[in-house]
Amino acid sequence: METAQLNLEPATDIQSDSRYYLNMGPQHPSTHGVLRVLLEMDGEYIIDPQPVLGYGHRMQEKMAEHKNWMAFMPNTGRMDYAAALPYNHGYVALFERLCGIEVPERAEYIRVITSELNRIVSHHLWLGAFLLDLGAFTPILYTFVDREKVLDILEDVTGSRLTYCYFRVGGVCKDIDDKFVERTREFIKYQRERFDVYNKLVTGNIIFIKRAEGVGVISRDMALRYGVTGPVARGSGINYDVRKNEPYSVYSKFDFEVPLGQNGDSLDRYMVRLNEMEQSLRIIEQALDQLPEGPYLSKVPKKLKLPTGDSSFAVEAARGELTYYMVSGGGDIPYRLKIRVPSYSNLSILPELGQGILLSDMVAVMGSLDLVIPEIDR
Amino acid sequence: MHPATEKLVSDLKVKSFELDACDYAKRGYHFEIDLEANRLREFAQCLLDQELYLVFVGGLHVDPAIEIIYQFASYDRPFRLVLRVAVDSNNAIPTISDIYHGANWHERETRDFYGVNFIDHPNLIPLILAEEDVDLKPLLKKDDDLKASVAVRWVIEEEQPETDEKADKD
Repeated sequence: METAQLNLEPATDIQSDSRYYLNMGPQHPSTHGVLRVLLEMDGEYIIDPQPVLGYGHRMQEKMAEHKNWMAFMPNTGRMDYAAALPYNHGYVALFERLCGIEVPERAEYIRVITSELNRIVSHHLWLGAFLLDLGAFTPILYTFVDREKVLDILEDVTGSRLTYCYFRVGGVCKDIDDKFVERTREFIKYQRERFDVYNKLVTGNIIFIKRAEGVGVISRDMALRYGVTGPVARGSGINYDVRKNEPYSVYSKFDFEVPLGQNGDSLDRYMVRLNEMEQSLRIIEQALDQLPEGPYLSKVPKKLKLPTGDSSFAVEAARGELTYYMVSGGGDIPYRLKIRVPSYSNLSILPELGQGILLSDMVAVMGSLDLVIPEIDR
Repeated sequence: MHPATEKLVSDLKVKSFELDACDYAKRGYHFEIDLEANRLREFAQCLLDQELYLVFVGGLHVDPAIEIIYQFASYDRPFRLVLRVAVDSNNAIPTISDIYHGANWHERETRDFYGVNFIDHPNLIPLILAEEDVDLKPLLKKDDDLKASVAVRWVIEEEQPETDEKADKD
């Protein structure tokens, strides 16, 4: 009945007895938020998976058009709840570039350190949830122990655990202290030892490999057609990372690698994210070593008029390329703010990726895409 | 300029698509181009052949017609392109969702927010908004807020003296 209302193929088209429609979600535990996937099935095989979006829609883009651009700041932390700091970063950096506001070097370092910590937290969450989707219950208990440690560090300096509103135009709202530096160094040491645990527990596990290897293969051509970015694209061997391709903030000062996969399957995406955590640790380590003294927030006029015209700012969020595109007609309220979120394009590949695969593989594929639905719905 | 970018710009010029270089330090993208709707699909195919991916498709409600904004970028080098195409008098524009498959959802979302009809789109049903909100068009501006297309564009300072001279001659 529901399918007929959606103008999808009515149920009368189904010929064989084994064909049927199956709703995955909106409250399915492996959809990570309220995503519904309408599956046309033949037995255990998927004929056509169609994601149904909008359950968590808040019209963020409309809100941005109706208030002073500084007042939109808290909204930026409420799209990707697993990695909110890069969303803060892209937003403030857009206006800093547009209005020519200088950011103290110390502030840029703090931004990089906290953003990378946030990326690690996000990958912790993904790692636990991905394996939980595959039926392995234990890993999420391990990754959440590690995740708590970072969240405690971030909470101390930002004041919140999830929906951060820490960055300000011209810097950050609170300086980091020696305690933060000390705890972060301790965490780096701790996390490096934990990789061994992850590898013993998961990476070498034959059941995990059988579930992930060769499942959900994304080619470069597919990635191009759908605009796939982030670890999902890098799993397919596409060497694209905004931090390297269009370096922003102080990322060009650090020595880090961009982990790449070869086959573009779920296993490659797993390996890319796992290696990315180590690279984030490397960035944090270097940033802590080079951390300059000085102010953490520059003086910014209370009222800032935006110049007429459009501008764009891309950052590497935990899931891929996040782009803010802002059109201004003067004044201090944006005329239009388009927010391009990485999971949106990464999920749009699903109808093609999921054709003809097993239902249980669908869960593995969606887990390996690392979706955060509230950022897609915005 | 990156040699591959240079080649791309000259390749597109051969097909009479002239990209305008922009100040990246100010705007955050490298090139811009305005096109008529009838050349949109040809241009999109050229960009896909040149291995550019689609960043997003979005709407912009300005006077006299809604503009559809496309942004393309490259995986291999710093290259970001903004394309603007105005819809026709029936609020319609050709789809590029059969060329760039990722545009499918972006176009459905733009239809949700602006009511733009993407001609030949395979499945133009609400994506983000609920089915009962099919005519809501939440991002359309009220008459008082609506600005002209030129009022939200960058003012090119170098060109102003020239237009002044022309005005003097007239």
